[in-house]
Amino acid sequence: MKQINLLLIAVFALSFASCEDTFLAPELETGINAENYYTTDSEIQAGLLNIYDGIQGVNALKITNNNLNHGVQVEFYLTEMRSDNTETKSNEGEAAQFESFTIESTNGIVADYYRSYYNVIFRANLVLDKLDAASPENKAAFAAEAKFLRGYAYFNLVRLFGDIPLVDQLISPLDTETAFTRVSSSLVYDLIVSDLQDAVANLSDGGANDQASKAAAEGILAKVYLTLGRYSEAQTLLEGIMSPSRGFALENDFKDVFYNEGNNEVIFAIGYVPSSNDDSQNFSAEWLNAVGRTSGVNYVSMDAKAFLDANGGNRTALSYREDVAQAGKYQVVKYLPNGDAALGIPATSSDPTSAGNDWVVLRYSDVLLMHVEAIMAGGASTTSSNAIASLQTVRNRAGLTDVVTSISKQELADERRAELAFENHRFFDLVRLGLAQDVLSAFSTANGLGYSTTDLLLPIPQVEIGLSNGLLTQNPGY
Amino acid sequence: MKQIANTIKSNIFNLKMLSLVALAGFMFSCEDNVLPETNSIEDLTPPTAMFSATESNGDWQTYDFSNQSISSTTYAWTFGDGNASTSKEPSNTYAAEGIYTVSLTSSDANGLTSTFSSEVEVVMPIVPVILLPAILEASFEDGMLDGGSGDGRDSWRNSDLGGVIQITSSPTNSGSQAAKFPSAGDRVAYQELEVSPNQNYILEYWYTMKTSGTGHMTVSVLAGDGFTDPSAAVAATLATFEGTDQTSSNDYVKVELPFNSGNNTKVSIYMFNSGVESRVDDVSLRLP
Repeated sequence: MKQINLLLIAVFALSFASCEDTFLAPELETGINAENYYTTDSEIQAGLLNIYDGIQGVNALKITNNNLNHGVQVEFYLTEMRSDNTETKSNEGEAAQFESFTIESTNGIVADYYRSYYNVIFRANLVLDKLDAASPENKAAFAAEAKFLRGYAYFNLVRLFGDIPLVDQLISPLDTETAFTRVSSSLVYDLIVSDLQDAVANLSDGGANDQASKAAAEGILAKVYLTLGRYSEAQTLLEGIMSPSRGFALENDFKDVFYNEGNNEVIFAIGYVPSSNDDSQNFSAEWLNAVGRTSGVNYVSMDAKAFLDANGGNRTALSYREDVAQAGKYQVVKYLPNGDAALGIPATSSDPTSAGNDWVVLRYSDVLLMHVEAIMAGGASTTSSNAIASLQTVRNRAGLTDVVTSISKQELADERRAELAFENHRFFDLVRLGLAQDVLSAFSTANGLGYSTTDLLLPIPQVEIGLSNGLLTQNPGY
Repeated sequence: MKQIANTIKSNIFNLKMLSLVALAGFMFSCEDNVLPETNSIEDLTPPTAMFSATESNGDWQTYDFSNQSISSTTYAWTFGDGNASTSKEPSNTYAAEGIYTVSLTSSDANGLTSTFSSEVEVVMPIVPVILLPAILEASFEDGMLDGGSGDGRDSWRNSDLGGVIQITSSPTNSGSQAAKFPSAGDRVAYQELEVSPNQNYILEYWYTMKTSGTGHMTVSVLAGDGFTDPSAAVAATLATFEGTDQTSSNDYVKVELPFNSGNNTKVSIYMFNSGVESRVDDVSLRLP
């Protein structure tokens, strides 16, 4: 994806305009700016691409400016490393605050993600503001795409931070009240639901899977509904995606989910281009031993290793491996940038620091397991044959073909952990299934960590609170 | 000599210390009510008590308390049932249902306190009732409806999908009547049932077909209700059994048709045939 550079060339415009009668309010004529840029469909599409670019983030190893937004590339710190799944290799530094549940409000990674996702929301609001320039036949689809991405961004923010400022249109720099007033998370969810419903109604399938689609919107909206306890609505959406005519299916080989991009298991991914300064990612390198800027992060916890050994089936070998440079430490095998000959995984880029592995946001096995969750409907277990069929499909692919006769909530959570390990689902799953308190407090006690219930929400970044002049309040416990 | 010198030095040192202590004692003695207050400032961050309670996973009687107090170091909880705790984030198990007032007093090291109270309602979760609806006129006998009315097929009519079934008196599987579907295949039996969503059910029925000709006697369960169009009905099929057993025109064959109600609160039974005169009797619904 191309980043859009909006260049302002104001100097010439001023000198030409000076002799005209509008010299007191000179119009920018030679430069492109946000006010005059959006006039055609292709320019609106460039604006849409710009939203994806915000989620994609900047490769911190290629463009080494700490103030840039790194988008989804730092999401694993806030989610996977804040669960029982992963940790830093060396257990030190700012990054280790996540695994030990001792996050400070000054944590730069939290601020990076918060800033990134509000920037994504700004980019979406910008497109929605300029839609009058779109042709009538494309206008609804453009709006739907922007709303899909805005809903996705807000869904992540509200789950991470709780009550947050709700910005649903372009605001002026002086409108600090909107920018810094936290509103109830239920109002944020109202916008998420209406945005995603609009996306479901006006998007279609058939494009590349790193682009918004009807199925992607249905899947994300289903997860929103599960989070809100609206199980029947979730089930309807999921069964829509599962209809054979839609063409989604599990890959036969688990490895192909991650190393055969464009497969029909992945419903929505954030795309990256290998060996590109602008469009590659560095999280794959950071997960290796001192290949990125860190000495190694998102290393597999002993808890997760033992869990996968017991429950992973043939997914285990494709989920983690021992670090060849440091025995006793374990790396994630999903998203390797430089491949693994022993596992038959090819390199995605000649340079691991500019990796091209797409980040998978939603895939079909997640849909199947959400289907089980929708049928369980907040209960302790289910014996419904439809739920069992969905779970069995996921387990069969993993080589776990023993016949399932009933599913408890714990078994569902375990299957999700084994299937979706290291894909930034674990933390959200624990919270949504009501298991976070039990699992994380036990994990914290067993490992001498600092978990308390207020760690289920991240701190509002201190820099934002400072900028807000007292408007923005902090979450409890920070 | 050296030892003596050392002793003297040591004594001098002790003397110095003693005088220092004496001096200090003299200086403090007249001001001891004032000095501790000098330069001390007001506690600008007094404690604020706050908590939330969530039902513990899988145990409706136990609540986990999330401590959201600010600027506090010690905590005193009362749970409204006589239990108390000084943990930061305790859990409490209530013996019975009820509304309990939970109170948290948070203190800081200066001894300032703040108290917050909130009610916790302990309710036994409702065990979901699995609906097992009665099938009306299930054996196609007369007088099965309220007040002894009904001709054995009143509950099975749907004129949009097809003509009403005929009633046969021989052969039957039990009783004196059964449903009859003539070989023309233009008659259907249809009945809507209220069910629990996502529940496994088994529909049981008996059927028999004439031995001549070819065709089928099909029984389907449809997702939802209100069907008026045969193709829409077929498209909504949850489960179906196409019976083709023409061994005997007198002996009924039992069919068990398992189905899952899916994301529906209503399902519909839909029976139709083709080519061969067929009979159905003794329809019932049960849980596996």
